Amino acid sequence: MREIVYDVFARKGRGDQLVHIGYVDAFDDETAKVYAWKTYDEENWFEMCVVERDAIIPVTNGEGHFAQLKRARDE
Amino acid sequence: MSPFTDDELKQKVQDGYMVEGPEDMTEGYRKALVVQLTVQADTELMSAPSYWMAARYAPSTNTQVSAHAIIQDELAHANIAYRLLEDIGESKEHLVYGRQPHEFKHPYGFDQPLDNWAELVVATGFFDRAGITLLTDVHENTSYAPLKRALVKIGMEETFHLRHGEVWMRRLSKAGGEAKEMVQRAVDWMFPMTIEWFGLPDDMKRHSGQLDYRLKGLTNDQLRQVWMSATVPLCEQLGLHVPAHWDAEREAYVLDYPFPCQYDAVDKHWAFDEGEISWDAVFERWKGRGPMNEIYVESVQRSRLDVARWLDGKAAA
Ligand SMILES: [Fe+2]
Ligand SMILES: [Fe+2]
Repeated sequence: MREIVYDVFARKGRGDQLVHIGYVDAFDDETAKVYAWKTYDEENWFEMCVVERDAIIPVTNGEGHFAQLKRARDE
Repeated sequence: MSPFTDDELKQKVQDGYMVEGPEDMTEGYRKALVVQLTVQADTELMSAPSYWMAARYAPSTNTQVSAHAIIQDELAHANIAYRLLEDIGESKEHLVYGRQPHEFKHPYGFDQPLDNWAELVVATGFFDRAGITLLTDVHENTSYAPLKRALVKIGMEETFHLRHGEVWMRRLSKAGGEAKEMVQRAVDWMFPMTIEWFGLPDDMKRHSGQLDYRLKGLTNDQLRQVWMSATVPLCEQLGLHVPAHWDAEREAYVLDYPFPCQYDAVDKHWAFDEGEISWDAVFERWKGRGPMNEIYVESVQRSRLDVARWLDGKAAA
């Protein structure tokens, strides 16, 4: 039962910033959508997206969270 | 690994440096964080079966819904904490499914059965208050940025759990009679249980590094005071007796019973009359785990292997 990490992004209301709010482990995109919606139910989000962590491309090659996690995975 | 030595990192985090990922950590920092996150994750996870088995005592479909909403939150909190552990090189699969019941690191309170609705609401009133007390301190002080961010959501939801517990404690207490007696009986075993949860007093505390690495801000005794400063006035207001009072001279809450003391998990009874025991005796009791430990862990792990086998069988066919 291999699960994939997805990062979750959401926007509180129309006109707000899209922010990284968390992550879920899921089997595929469909389950990731369900888990994200059920897990991050602390707000009535206007918009929510999930993206496979592997699909996130760090632009700055520096000390950021995702850059570090990517290098750790690539090792 | 970190470009800093352990001492440099300790100094940097005291000056406000935020750690963003494994490359910023020394091995000492990583280890201390793993211990902290494992306790946090296991506590969230084991609160779920404890509350779930007690949710059957909910007096209405509405209260069933709110009890299960709390359980859903706890499982999500556990998932988040295990995810944070994976990101620093630990295995969630092993932590959740690969350990024996006694290897989990949750507090002894979540090894106890909750036997009626009063016990469930006092548990959310007391245990979730303890959770908020600990996690608010972490949120305000931690040097680990991903944890700080994750705690925003968790804090919001814990506040809801606590409110649910306190609203019901008030409702049952105000009703008087048997309702209030049931709350009092729950308070009698859960108050000292929560006090003990905060661990060794400061003058005995072994050096853990959690303060040095700024993984938390307050000491065990300070956290115990924060918890009492909310819980004691609440109980007094509801006419519930608690074995602690405000001492104006010492400007602190003081316990009215020998601490620590022995607990009979079968009778849910604290042996105040037998006097103070050593912390070694407490650690022994914790290590022996409580009556529901295996049942709760088994309820979480139960179907994992079965379903994995079905799925593997299907994939092979
Ligand atoms: Fe929680
Ligand atoms: Fe909670």
